[in-house]
Amino acid sequence: MFSLLYRMVRDRGLAEDLAQETFIKVLNAIGSYNPQFKFSSWIFKIANNAAIDHLRKRELDTLSLDGSPHATTPDEMSATALQLGDRRETPLQELEARELGGAIDHAIARLRPEYRACILLRHVEGHSYEEIARMLDLPLGTVKTYIHRARNELRGYLEDRKA
Amino acid sequence: MSPTPDPRHLTPDEIELWAQGLLPAARDVHIGECAECRVAAERERKLLRELAQLTRFAPEFGFVERVMAKVKIPAPSGPHLRPDSDA
Repeated sequence: MFSLLYRMVRDRGLAEDLAQETFIKVLNAIGSYNPQFKFSSWIFKIANNAAIDHLRKRELDTLSLDGSPHATTPDEMSATALQLGDRRETPLQELEARELGGAIDHAIARLRPEYRACILLRHVEGHSYEEIARMLDLPLGTVKTYIHRARNELRGYLEDRKA
Repeated sequence: MSPTPDPRHLTPDEIELWAQGLLPAARDVHIGECAECRVAAERERKLLRELAQLTRFAPEFGFVERVMAKVKIPAPSGPHLRPDSDA
């Protein structure tokens, strides 16, 4: 669950805060847990909602190594790009850059949050499509579409990187 | 008897099944005969392997204690649960 949050927000401290928030919500709301739902799925649902809410609030989904996808000029791209130098300001940021510095993690970071959540839940956490649909309150067909698109985008990013 | 080849290209769902070794034999034959599907399936398998091999991260030391410090644990209620109870 921590791994999911960390890859969603790409910030160790924030991921830990969200994980804490998730567990506190889970433990304080244990009475409302519906046993028809898998317990781990319930936790992932709460964690994922926390991450998505946070990303929406902070608009971290537009954060990219290459700049905001909404940027229309090279200056705007440059102004909104994540500066690699900035990531080495503290030991924690250095650790994050090392941990999430692989090509596949860079590619995951470029996906929109909904795709990122689906691909991580399916192929990293190993949940079924049906479980993901229940967790994210999405129709099964939408989950499949998101995952197929996410895989296409990941392959595209990875191949562009090699080219 | 070998399964009859199915000429239709594999769907994304079938490619995922193939990458997991779960594609039915009749469709598996198609991969052997269709270079396009074989390339797509190999690329898919490579990506799924990379995703499956991603590092699992853990929070910093003391995480559980920090969470538990913030959790409201309900006080025992009822006479039988009180520490000074005889029960």
